[in-house]
Amino acid sequence: MLNGDLMNGPWVEKYRPSNLDEVVGQDHIVGRLKKYVEEHSMPNLMFTGPAGVGKTTTAIALAKSILGEYWRQNFLELNASDARGIDTVRTNIKHFCRLKAVGAPFRIVFLDEVDNMTKDAQHALRREMEMYTKTASFILSCNYSSKIIDPIQSRCAIFRFAPVKGNKIIERLEFIAESENLKIARSAIESIVYFAEGDLRKAINILQASASTTDEITDESIHEIVSKAKPQDVRKIVRMALNGDFMGARDLLREVMVIQGTSGEDMITQIYQEVSRMSMENLIEDDAYVDLIQSIGEYDFRIREGSNPRIQLEALLTKFLLKAKAD
Amino acid sequence: MLWTEKYRPKNFDEILGNLKAKKEILQWVDEWKDGNPQKCLFLIGPPGTGKTTFANIIANEFSDSIELNASDKRSYDAIMNTVGEASASKTLFGSGLKLIILDEVDGLHGNEDRGGSRAINKIIKDISQPTIMMANDPYSNRIKSFKSKCKVINLRKVHTNSIVSFLKKICVKEGIEFEEHVLRELAKRSRGDLRSAINDLEIMARGEEKITSKDLEIVAKKDERASVFDAARTILKSKNPSRIKGALRQVEADPSLLLEIVTENIPREYEKKEEIEKAYEMVSEADIYLGRAFSTRAYTYWKYAYDLMSVGVALSKEETYKKFARYTNSSVYTILSKSRSKRDLQDRAAGKIAEKLHTSKKVAISQFPYFEVMFQDNEIAYNMMMYFGLEDDEVKLFRSRKVKIPKKKEEKKVKADPKPVKKVSETKKSSAKDIKAKKDPKNEDDEKKSSEKDSSKKEDDPKDKGQTSLFHF
Repeated sequence: MLNGDLMNGPWVEKYRPSNLDEVVGQDHIVGRLKKYVEEHSMPNLMFTGPAGVGKTTTAIALAKSILGEYWRQNFLELNASDARGIDTVRTNIKHFCRLKAVGAPFRIVFLDEVDNMTKDAQHALRREMEMYTKTASFILSCNYSSKIIDPIQSRCAIFRFAPVKGNKIIERLEFIAESENLKIARSAIESIVYFAEGDLRKAINILQASASTTDEITDESIHEIVSKAKPQDVRKIVRMALNGDFMGARDLLREVMVIQGTSGEDMITQIYQEVSRMSMENLIEDDAYVDLIQSIGEYDFRIREGSNPRIQLEALLTKFLLKAKAD
Repeated sequence: MLWTEKYRPKNFDEILGNLKAKKEILQWVDEWKDGNPQKCLFLIGPPGTGKTTFANIIANEFSDSIELNASDKRSYDAIMNTVGEASASKTLFGSGLKLIILDEVDGLHGNEDRGGSRAINKIIKDISQPTIMMANDPYSNRIKSFKSKCKVINLRKVHTNSIVSFLKKICVKEGIEFEEHVLRELAKRSRGDLRSAINDLEIMARGEEKITSKDLEIVAKKDERASVFDAARTILKSKNPSRIKGALRQVEADPSLLLEIVTENIPREYEKKEEIEKAYEMVSEADIYLGRAFSTRAYTYWKYAYDLMSVGVALSKEETYKKFARYTNSSVYTILSKSRSKRDLQDRAAGKIAEKLHTSKKVAISQFPYFEVMFQDNEIAYNMMMYFGLEDDEVKLFRSRKVKIPKKKEEKKVKADPKPVKKVSETKKSSAKDIKAKKDPKNEDDEKKSSEKDSSKKEDDPKDKGQTSLFHF
């Protein structure tokens, strides 16, 4: 059941489920997908849901079961957000779909992060989907189905992946720990679940990172890893803004985002965690805490709605500036 | 004569691209000539895509024409007096058809052109003379009421290649020596606006024998940048909305560039926390509209963005400041250019990792911090490096020291890995570790890294703590 040649690589790959039964915590979806396997046919599918809940895993597992032995030859995986423009996507799809499936009932195109495509590109994609209905089926995956144009949505069976439940994450982590001969405290596993927020990929990464530094994983070591893996810059940025040094905070924010390429979503999650921590440690007053959470939530929404994350985060910093003590 | 006029196509054959539009227009003209009145022809497209050219060529097909554009007053009465009369005077002059051209109808002014759209509606309702209207913005509310009653022809931006070849033709005719990439750059900068490309070329080349990339500096970009700064200054210095709007009209800046420069300088001009916060709120909202415009292609949203980033930001201050503040370009641009090689490296590594992990680069990068922790262990680092196929410089993103080949796995790896394994000089410490590992019988048995790890870790850890990680710098 382990992916043999991956023994020493990242555990997120090593323990990636290779068939539908192993997919963690999406039973209701898997049940329906299996019907497609039985019938040897499937409509176009759309998987939506947050990161790390198994969209890609399920897509690959489904492709393996439905395409059988020659799944590799008949499966095309494309990342919409990395491919240079819609032309690359279209050329790839065209080349792939023009050929008939060999050794399998049809071919499958898996297109990830479709919500990062422009509307025009999505319209082009729609035409591709129509053009090759006979030879290929599409699996599209995205974080937010609201960002997908209606004509595509209406051509797909939509499956909504929920964040993986805590007990399912615990089961999986315990399985990995056992396979890797790890000593890990129950409280440590619970901490991982807390930090992972339903994101199994994150949970496994935290586990592997912890295992790389210690033989006995405790609650403390998890906290240590999480804070280590969390760039200290966010703490600095927040502190500077709260001290009234807006320009300093803004410059550092720009550096982190531009050079390290940290995404807006990640930044705002970290800012949220930092503010929560400060509140728990009584470093900010309760009123200020609530005000800041309101702002963070609002700017989180704005970023996800498709505005420029850096500009939005700079604007969020001014809310911290307001809480700065008068000099 | 201006080159834009001199080289304006004189007949349908000379018009570049827009084949479908051409065909439809020709048909429209023929129908009129055959005595079949047609709906009003509505040419919609961004500046420099050939609307005026089409109108001129169509005008040549008819015996007479009359034109009203934005520089004329276009109230109900004004339009009815000039155009209305012509449009009603059917057949008085026999077969002579009079072409009516209404330019820039999306620019009808609410106040001064009061009733203008009512007049237009009336004219296109009982049409008796060939009528053409032109507009830039297909989504403008001002054209909503009559758009559906017209035959709409959408003109696309001119393709860069077409612009280049057109510019070439001019250079050849004017006897100017040129480098292809200069023309290409001009074409690119024009963003599909053939007229502005020709204008730029004329500024650079008129009276010259040769143009080079140095000449590019005189035109467009520099001017645009300067005036964007002027506009930003007016926004931040003034509290007078009509003055600010006036300043905005002077620049034809890309809204995100203006937004960037206004934003950059808010904290340089404004001093009170509350002002900065309020101004940034405006910036944030303006940015939301830019995002919406981009994702839905409804550029009509730009107007809200412009208003918020200008008047909105301007009115966020309590009083105007009398000081002199030094305005700068956004530091983002500096950071971008300074960090290029770093970002390229990161991008390359992210590409490799993303492929193995079935994710986008963005998702791969979000996992970098965990890899950074894992890479501190030499053996894991080695395995990961092999697994992802990372080069030495890419490994440095996660670990400051070179990765050593773990002794125990060496024979295996040499066989398995097609790449020649680099011979790294072993330090005393790592051979010590190896001996230690061999002493431990358990190690040999299960050959798992878990037991070997603690020995290697003992050496790895203390060293690492002293070193600054390369990932956050």
